[in-house]
Amino acid sequence: MRSGKLAIRTASGRDLSRRILFLLLGVALVFVPMKALAQQDSSDKAASLLKDSIKLFDEGDTDKAIEAARESIKADPSNADAYDRLGYMLLKKDQADEAMGAFDSALKINPRMRTSKTGKGLVLLKKGDLKGAEAILKEALELNPYPSMTHYALGLVYEKMGDYEKSVEQFKDGIKKYKSGKR
Amino acid sequence: MRYIGGSKKYVRLRMAVLTIVLCFSFAFSATAQALLNIGGTAPDFSVRDLEGKDVSLSQFTGKKAVVILFWSTWSAKSTKAFKRMQDFYEKYKDRGIQVVGINADNETISREDVENIKKFVKETGITFPVLTDKALKTFRAYEIIALPSTVIVTEGKISYELPGFPLVGTEDMFDYLLGLAGETPKKKMEVRYKPQHDSIADASLARKFMAKEKYDMAYPLLQKAIERDPKYMLAYIELAKLYDLEGKDREAEETFKKALASDAESVPVMSEFGYFLTKKGKIKEAVEILDKAAKMNSYTPSHYYLAYALSKNGQAKEALSAFDAALALNPYEPMIYILRGEHYEMNKMHKEASADYRKALELTLKIK
Repeated sequence: MRSGKLAIRTASGRDLSRRILFLLLGVALVFVPMKALAQQDSSDKAASLLKDSIKLFDEGDTDKAIEAARESIKADPSNADAYDRLGYMLLKKDQADEAMGAFDSALKINPRMRTSKTGKGLVLLKKGDLKGAEAILKEALELNPYPSMTHYALGLVYEKMGDYEKSVEQFKDGIKKYKSGKR
Repeated sequence: MRYIGGSKKYVRLRMAVLTIVLCFSFAFSATAQALLNIGGTAPDFSVRDLEGKDVSLSQFTGKKAVVILFWSTWSAKSTKAFKRMQDFYEKYKDRGIQVVGINADNETISREDVENIKKFVKETGITFPVLTDKALKTFRAYEIIALPSTVIVTEGKISYELPGFPLVGTEDMFDYLLGLAGETPKKKMEVRYKPQHDSIADASLARKFMAKEKYDMAYPLLQKAIERDPKYMLAYIELAKLYDLEGKDREAEETFKKALASDAESVPVMSEFGYFLTKKGKIKEAVEILDKAAKMNSYTPSHYYLAYALSKNGQAKEALSAFDAALALNPYEPMIYILRGEHYEMNKMHKEASADYRKALELTLKIK
């Protein structure tokens, strides 16, 4: 008898496990795609917000552009591009510390983000840390296959240092590389 | 195309930080085309008027002619050009002639700029549409080399171009406009040269190949363009430049000379030939030809090429004055700053050289 009860219990246990398994599967079948869809939705929303932000920025409405970039980051905090763009917008508004924070966030997600390194160089230049700016811009230059803008920033640093021969070299390199299609 | 860190558009945005705006075609190759756009399709534009309303070239389809006056509040001759154009517009606006003024004060137009333009328009009593050109897109699309400049569009093609507001050229242009308005021109108009359509198409395709460094494809097209229309100066200039690019100096020089044999008064050919001669160290010859070109009209490259030749000739004062003349006509041309930068560099004036190269790069990358 005992073994019979056990057998029934075991059978019921197996049945229960199977039911739970089916239930979980069902849940997974419903919720995983839902989650994926939700992720897709928020990623689409983030992309659309970022697009709006760029348009606003192009039109000169930096404040609204910043707002839209922040909304985009809220919708998808894993997008390094969004942080980077926000950094440049904040830099334009002379919010150097906030800009630095945004560039750091971008670099946390993508440590090889050369544009954020250039951005950090520009922040440091703005703050008067010329040596720091020079160092990070040189790093960006190594990573950057389209370096005219980084040459420009480095030229500004050398101009500020009063080293005009070096700044001439950087500006000329920027022009030359732009002409050769390396933008 | 995407690459680490974002798209091209993204790079533009980044550039905008130091007030960075969108970028168009680079001006280094634009000089040859300047003044030589006649016969080509007029680029459509979509710009805003002073009330923020969109205005495009295509909305004037059906007009006999659209006169586009590129101008700036800081250019003295723009006021003269505006007033003269207003008089013409008042008389002939009902004869199918549409005039629009496109402002080129700045790369980016602030609210303050718009107010200044409005004030200027009110003071000068302008009644034709005055438009703002964001990031100077239209200015660059039309490869404008001087301010003011007038472009006349008929049947969708550029039929007349006048850089600056020179005494003689201006009267000729208004005579041409009178003809379009159905009036008898003040003096007998010569039949205006129009490049052959096929030559324009060949040269245009050749330029595309040149941009992609497919020089072998460009040579026959340019040669064919010249064969078809020996008066089409753009084809000669592009061919000569191509030879120069590939180190074929003799062929380049011969091509320039052939062009001048076909049209001895072509200011663009004289200017480009003068610049070529300067680069090859034939300074005296260059100064002579460039001086003649600069005196002939407001073709900006002739002024800065002359400045460069004078600099190479050791005439620093005259060179700087010629650079100033070029800048007064078109402060948006990077080449002026590059050549003046070289002048300063040659004279060990590194601070000034740096400022000029910086400005050239800022204009190139559209950084304000």
